[in-house]
Amino acid sequence: MNRSIFTNPYVLIAPAFLLAAFIILWPLSQIGEISISNVNRFGQLKGFAGLENFAAVVGDPQFLAAAWRTVIWTLGIVAGTILLSVPVALVLNEDFHGRGIARIIVMLPWAVSLTMTAIVWRWALSGESGMLNSALKGLGLVDQNIQWLAAAGTAFPMQIAIGILVSIPFTTTIFLGGLSSIPDDLYEAARLEGASSWQIFFSITLPLLRPFINIAVVMNTIGVFNSFPIIWVTTQGGPANSTDILVTYLYKLGFSFGKLGEASALSLMMFALLLFFTIIYVRLAMRGERA
Amino acid sequence: MKLSRRMKRTIFSWLVLSPLVVAVLFPFAVMFITAIKPATEVLQPTWWPSAPQWQNFITMWQATNFGAALWNSVYVAVLSTLLSLVVSIPAAYALSRFRFVGKGFVQQFLLVSQMLSPIVLVIGLFRLLVALKLLDSLNAVVFVYATFNIAFSVWMLQSYFSTIPKDLEEAAWMEGATPWQALRKVFLPLALPAMTVTAIFSFINAWNEFVIALTMLRNQGSYTLPIQVFSLVAGRYTVEWHHVMAAAFAATIPVAIVFAWLQRYLVRGLALGAVK
Repeated sequence: MNRSIFTNPYVLIAPAFLLAAFIILWPLSQIGEISISNVNRFGQLKGFAGLENFAAVVGDPQFLAAAWRTVIWTLGIVAGTILLSVPVALVLNEDFHGRGIARIIVMLPWAVSLTMTAIVWRWALSGESGMLNSALKGLGLVDQNIQWLAAAGTAFPMQIAIGILVSIPFTTTIFLGGLSSIPDDLYEAARLEGASSWQIFFSITLPLLRPFINIAVVMNTIGVFNSFPIIWVTTQGGPANSTDILVTYLYKLGFSFGKLGEASALSLMMFALLLFFTIIYVRLAMRGERA
Repeated sequence: MKLSRRMKRTIFSWLVLSPLVVAVLFPFAVMFITAIKPATEVLQPTWWPSAPQWQNFITMWQATNFGAALWNSVYVAVLSTLLSLVVSIPAAYALSRFRFVGKGFVQQFLLVSQMLSPIVLVIGLFRLLVALKLLDSLNAVVFVYATFNIAFSVWMLQSYFSTIPKDLEEAAWMEGATPWQALRKVFLPLALPAMTVTAIFSFINAWNEFVIALTMLRNQGSYTLPIQVFSLVAGRYTVEWHHVMAAAFAATIPVAIVFAWLQRYLVRGLALGAVK
């Protein structure tokens, strides 16, 4: 075999690995160090603090509220996305007039930055001049303006709905990939045997789509758990922190309240949780590989 | 009248999709209609403007400092895409072609870095940039974006590269080509479609990124488009919504068009990656 730097895998991997190691591991070690230190709001370390920062985070009622909201946020968006994406992918997998356009429309939210989407919704949901209210009134569905973003009771479900809307494209894409991997002769055989559409769906499509659903659940869980712009742009976690999830609470701790020690401790806790999700993902992916 | 099977399926399919189609197109309609409303009608909750004001797009350019933010976004997105490609292509090539000690570790490291979003690391990244005196520097943001794109790029590229037979390069070696010649003349031309698709997704990621830009870019002169448009909305008493929507529209449509054209490659690429 020729000897060359182009056949030495270590040389080929080094640039990517070193860049990633520097920009990911150095900040991670900083976070680790700050999380066990006393730190002032200017970021100067003032000695060892043990687990005080962790205790302060866990003891904060706002943290508990944000953590609980994160559970609802993540479960709501992931469940809603999967439930809606399966039928959407099934429809888009069939041949019909205008399928190309339908696919583009369904995929469209993916192409728009979450920031812009959230800014548009912030405007559309505005109580007095928002176009959602005028549309709903025009259709006769409501007769009074709803102040969507003024209370968590209406703001948070709306934010979850926006989250579902922007998660459908990715999920549908995964499912379309899964559906195209199911051989046609399975369906033909089932139809020859006289199976109904429901039977075909529950005994062929759904089981064979299973690994793709698992992957989509884990990847969406990670993405949604980390998702910051929708809530930050529409309500900034308000009113009165009532729509905060962990990522927005973390950002406030670090950059508004100047509690860098607690913010770092929270980062580490979230990092551990993400690592846990990742391990589940690897398990699922490897099970798929063996099968 | 008897409808053909395909016609029936068409009606059924569009019926099933219609609520989603409405929900997807609604924000685009809001954006577009608000953008062409006269300034005096923006706050009235009517749907249609009395007369479309196309010049809003021109006045927006000045009022929102659109040009500078556009340039910053292009700069950051292009450079971070190039940087992540330059480091990801050799890494993906190595992972798809060679067995070596530590391969599993590299793959796991990439996977974990893919799962980590910048928000979890934001405190550490901020300190890194402060320590390097690179706060407010677009170049620093380029490096951060490139890094967070590496995992995805390597993953996409590797799954494509594995479909290119290794025999082709080996045949070139037999003919007396050096490894570099074999790469440049045989492998890279075949890998070009994969690299193009990966580049465009890296570009879109950088174009749309929010948290890092919000945290690291402190001065309006260095704002990228999402931060610039957000700054016109956040913490203000009066928001010029027609300008904001015109800016959002102008920042969104070019990327959306490119994406619409590319999404079928993505279906193929992700399917390859997911089942490999």
